[in-house]
Amino acid sequence: MSELQVGDKAEVTAVKAEQAVRRRILDMGLIKGTCFKVLRVAPLGDPMEIFFKGMYLSLRKAEAEGISVHKTGRTGDGVPMSCDKEGVSCCGGAK
Amino acid sequence: MQRKEISVALAGNPNCGKSSLFNVLTGAHQKVGNFSGVTIEKHEGHLDYGAYRIRFVDLPGTYSLTPYSPEEIVTRNYLIDERPDLVVNVLEGPNLERNLLLTTQLMEMNVDFLAALNMIDEVEEKGISIDVKQLQRLLGCHIVPTSAKKKIGIDSLLDHIVRVYEKNIEIRKNKLSFRPEIEEAVDAIAGLLKREKELEAADPRWLAIKLLESDREVYHRVQQYPVWVKVELALQEALREAAKLYDSDPEMLITEDRHAFIRGAMKECVRFPEERKSTVTDYIDMVVLNRVLGLPVFLFVVWAIFQITFTLGSPLMDMLESLFGALSGAVEPLLVNPAVRSVVIDGIIAGVGGVLVFLPNILLLFIGLSFLEASGYMARAAFVIDKVMHRFGLHGKSFIPMITGFGCSIPAIMATRTLKSPTDRLTTILIIPFMSCGAKLPVYVLLSGAFFPPDVAANVMFAVYLLGVVVALLSAKLLKSTVLKCDSEPFVMELPPYRWPTLHSVLFQARIKAMMYVKKAGTLILGAVVIIWAVSNYPHSDDIDRWAEAESVRIEKSAGSEADKKTAIEALEYRTQSLQLQHSFAGRVGKVIEPVIKPIGFDWRIGIALVTGLAAKEVVVSTMATIYALADTDESSGELAAILKNDPSFSRATALSLMVFVLLYIPCVAAIGVMKKEIGQWKPVLLYSVYVLVLAWVLSFITYRSALFIL
Repeated sequence: MSELQVGDKAEVTAVKAEQAVRRRILDMGLIKGTCFKVLRVAPLGDPMEIFFKGMYLSLRKAEAEGISVHKTGRTGDGVPMSCDKEGVSCCGGAK
Repeated sequence: MQRKEISVALAGNPNCGKSSLFNVLTGAHQKVGNFSGVTIEKHEGHLDYGAYRIRFVDLPGTYSLTPYSPEEIVTRNYLIDERPDLVVNVLEGPNLERNLLLTTQLMEMNVDFLAALNMIDEVEEKGISIDVKQLQRLLGCHIVPTSAKKKIGIDSLLDHIVRVYEKNIEIRKNKLSFRPEIEEAVDAIAGLLKREKELEAADPRWLAIKLLESDREVYHRVQQYPVWVKVELALQEALREAAKLYDSDPEMLITEDRHAFIRGAMKECVRFPEERKSTVTDYIDMVVLNRVLGLPVFLFVVWAIFQITFTLGSPLMDMLESLFGALSGAVEPLLVNPAVRSVVIDGIIAGVGGVLVFLPNILLLFIGLSFLEASGYMARAAFVIDKVMHRFGLHGKSFIPMITGFGCSIPAIMATRTLKSPTDRLTTILIIPFMSCGAKLPVYVLLSGAFFPPDVAANVMFAVYLLGVVVALLSAKLLKSTVLKCDSEPFVMELPPYRWPTLHSVLFQARIKAMMYVKKAGTLILGAVVIIWAVSNYPHSDDIDRWAEAESVRIEKSAGSEADKKTAIEALEYRTQSLQLQHSFAGRVGKVIEPVIKPIGFDWRIGIALVTGLAAKEVVVSTMATIYALADTDESSGELAAILKNDPSFSRATALSLMVFVLLYIPCVAAIGVMKKEIGQWKPVLLYSVYVLVLAWVLSFITYRSALFIL
């Protein structure tokens, strides 16, 4: 996930991090099958901000490394609007 | 009338409007304390409703009830141990999906709860429709739409609390079912746990789920019972099963099933508008988190907070100071006994005054900080600066307290409460005093002004400030890679949507912080200030007094103009003060420590100033003025500078060394008091004091020796 670019959309395929970090990621709702979009990266290059299920979440790239993803698309900009409906997956009908 | 009491706990995610709802419900009847053993604020309040007195406790905001963060542990333990009659789960309406995770965990815990679907006004504005009736059925609890901001649904919520408590309206509790393999394991383990009477009382199903989630607190609890042997086998079996069937583990599967349940509920009950409109948050963040503008905006905000706190605060501080000055002046003639007068004026009034003058700063800083926190910018600030802070083992949120430290360590240390991880917080608290505070400035001004030409003096001062920042960051790195190695807070943080905080809640937060400072730190600081006053005034030598008496008589009788006599008398008074100070405990300590501070270029006179400087750093200057027997004790006195310059024992190297030492050595008693209060234990504070003394000595030594060599 840490390799995604701003504007990329992706789906989580697995969360493999140290237990406390994993728990935190899971509690935020970033679980297998969740689709999200990369909104932006902080001015200094880390952390990154993603958008999913109507929520804005920031995480360090180190933490993002534990999340395996499958890229599903790209819209080029960092605006949440170009995802589909709020709260509904951004993978469209795929799921 | 004897009212029936109902205890209600408010639980919900951070930023769900729980605190606003709490404020609306309880109004003025609030008190703030701490949860036992942790510095997490516990807000309690009550409300009389009909024949009932409803007691509310506002639990800390959490996303989940796992035992990782202190907030989660506190919340969970409160629900288990205190067993409130009813839990009100506050849900952030516009962000329902994420909020429901906590709800599913409440369902599992089998507590009596109802949900407040908060921010219902925002839900409607956004065109989201929620089928409350169906959601009630699925969650197995009553749901009351509310809006704390618009005061919607408050009476209905109270009515529901009473009726659910009295079991007037009932709803069938719903059980969240997991996939069959997990259910089997849960049943098997719960069946085993039922054999232990005590465990049976604690809801075996919940315990079983927690065990499968590898919850360490529940592990410790169940391990004490003989049944553990069998439970452990069942757990291992479940682990194997999950690995074999799903290439996963039970913890993951349980979480996925909870989310699947939530997903289903959302699909069934919530309709979003077809097109998502860009929100205010999107637009603000386009600027505030912009790659180019992000940092300047951040620096501006920090600068603004600093200005508000100190530029706006200092006239108020001066006013308070002169108020206490006037009080001393008013009290002075009333006290005849000189010893009593000195205790009251120099000890108590100066001590209380010394504590209270910080109040305007603290209030203003916390008005600023609670505004940033409640509006949603604080999380963004952490996002912007985290990379730099992380390099030194700190969290993005440590930045603002650190910058505040340039003004005063006390509000800065209190501001670390925004940090969630205890080790991040402790590290930040410990490095804050290295950020050179305002009280140290007079010392730098005096010394750099006396020994360096004006154009160099400013650079010298800047170098001292810079040294402080470098020492702070390196100390953080050192602490984080040695003693405070464990559990840094993972940076997985929600950037909440921007909301305009209510004036009431911002002021309320600031007031709480101010009260806390006055009450808890005040007593400790006051005590310490009085002690330092005592050691610099006692023992008092009557011989010196008699000598001074004789001298003044001699001056009166001597020939010369009235003006000359007056000057001579004044000089005598300061000389007497100086001698008394030397005679006091502080003076003796100064002399005793002379061998230790000799290598860094200090004599006993500086030693005394360093001791009294523990009361407050600017006191270093006034003590030096007294001890160098000056007629003028003005802090930035040009005269003292001249005297120091002409003193053969005082060189440029001494001045540099002293600046470094004052920058780094033990902070003032007020800061130490607040440190102790925020950390909760003496041990780290004492260890820290030793650390800074050694560090200050070593760096002063290096400074002194290399300055002697170069200059």
